[in-house]
Amino acid sequence: MSVQRKKSRRVVEREAQFKQYRADVQSRGKPFYPWAMFHDAAMSTVVVGVIIGLACVWYFTSGEDPHDVGWLGPRYAEPADPGTTTFVPRPDWYFYFLFYLLRIFKWPDSVILGTVGIPTILMILLFALPFLDVRRERRIVRRPVAVTALLLTAASMGVLTYKGAVAEEATAAGSEAVEQLIEEQNLPEGVRPGLELFLRTCTSCHTYAGEGSSNLGAPDLTTIGDTGRSVEQFMQILREGPGAMPSFANLPEENLRSVGEFLEASKGAG
Amino acid sequence: MAVPVRTKSRRRQQLEEAALYPLDWVEERSGLVGALKYFLFRKVPGDISWGHTLGSATLTAFLVQAITGAILAMYYKPHPDTAYESIQYITNDVTLGWLVRGMHRWGASVFIILMFFHMARVFLYGAYKYPRELNWIIGALLLILGMFEGFTGYLLPWDQTAYWATVVGVNLQGTGPFLGPFLVNVLNGGAEIGVDTLSRFYSIHMLLLPGAIFALIGLHLWLVIRLGVTSQPWSPEAAGSGEPEEPRPAREGLVRPARSGGSE
Repeated sequence: MSVQRKKSRRVVEREAQFKQYRADVQSRGKPFYPWAMFHDAAMSTVVVGVIIGLACVWYFTSGEDPHDVGWLGPRYAEPADPGTTTFVPRPDWYFYFLFYLLRIFKWPDSVILGTVGIPTILMILLFALPFLDVRRERRIVRRPVAVTALLLTAASMGVLTYKGAVAEEATAAGSEAVEQLIEEQNLPEGVRPGLELFLRTCTSCHTYAGEGSSNLGAPDLTTIGDTGRSVEQFMQILREGPGAMPSFANLPEENLRSVGEFLEASKGAG
Repeated sequence: MAVPVRTKSRRRQQLEEAALYPLDWVEERSGLVGALKYFLFRKVPGDISWGHTLGSATLTAFLVQAITGAILAMYYKPHPDTAYESIQYITNDVTLGWLVRGMHRWGASVFIILMFFHMARVFLYGAYKYPRELNWIIGALLLILGMFEGFTGYLLPWDQTAYWATVVGVNLQGTGPFLGPFLVNVLNGGAEIGVDTLSRFYSIHMLLLPGAIFALIGLHLWLVIRLGVTSQPWSPEAAGSGEPEEPRPAREGLVRPARSGGSE
């Protein structure tokens, strides 16, 4: 004897609706071939055309040289060099929204919200959607919450992607910036090599007295010397690369030391 | 003579039989011909629109990736000493190599965009609702796997952009609690990004993820065929939107009495 569980009204209604859908499609529907398939084939042709078009524009406006960027970017950048001092970490465009999210949070307290927290929450919401919205209603005007959520998501992803795309990359600070910083920040003359290297490399992600651009949640280092760390400790941080920071263990020892000395001397203008 | 009946000539009959024999042979042993017929001639709602083509367009973009990727794999050499050179060789020297690599590179963006558009369409039409919840989840998985394809493929040219974006990308995953450091080790194949990382990313990018994506697309399509696609929600004749419509007589009251109610 099977136990008859009483179905809730919602379940009964949605089952009836799907049955109705089946009957309607059977009686009033059109066959997939050729009618729907024609539309699919036409759209797919457009897609392949666009891909070929992009490939052509990309190739014919760029050159063999990595600096010949053309309209859509270079064919390749310089070869990878783990010991380099100039680089800008930049993901492909569809990660810009995540990339820019990290600028909003401050290192080190809340950056984990940007790296793990918000993406995880978004993923959970994505998977859970059919169980959060269990109404049968599909008409757009009757789903104000869902439509608002869609518009807000699309808008915020669009804005974050745009902001990530136009995010200022650190422009190599000139020698006048070096002089100015030494004077304004009361830096000893001896840290000049470290400061120059810092402005070439670290300002891709860190800010310092208004120089550089903040990326990936990297903290401002104007007064990092106030933390009381020793030169050795700063060098260790450079080698390890805590958190999202890359390891700079491939840099020569003297470079690490000069940056460490500069950071140790950075105690702000005041 | 009686009424002439046009019959197929004996020769024609034999020809038709010979042509259909392979199909019958396959059908008898697999049922695939019947399945294909069902797929092609099944009914879809009469009001489906261009919005409904986004799914198949996404599939097309993925197939472009699979085909161009297979060709690129014939020339690409996944080792830090050779990867960059092989990319240069493919782009500048191989016949039409630029086209294959260009299509793979830009096809990736098109694939990602189409996945988002397709998802937005499904969301707007409420097509994730009963009984299609499971297909939404499979689609969400496909989106995430597709994004990981982008992430792993980005490293392969082994240029400055690729290298540093991956260093930072992997480090970001390392900030996660519990799983983070473990994930970094798995992805890098060690503490640093190097030889092992490149071959690992290559394997993930061209075997593991595409295999999973193919399988999930198969499941995704199976569910689409089994459950059917939704009508446009605003369509006056949306399938399943209300009471079944009775065919209205030409002039009510003339052929039969005007609607009296009662019967459905």
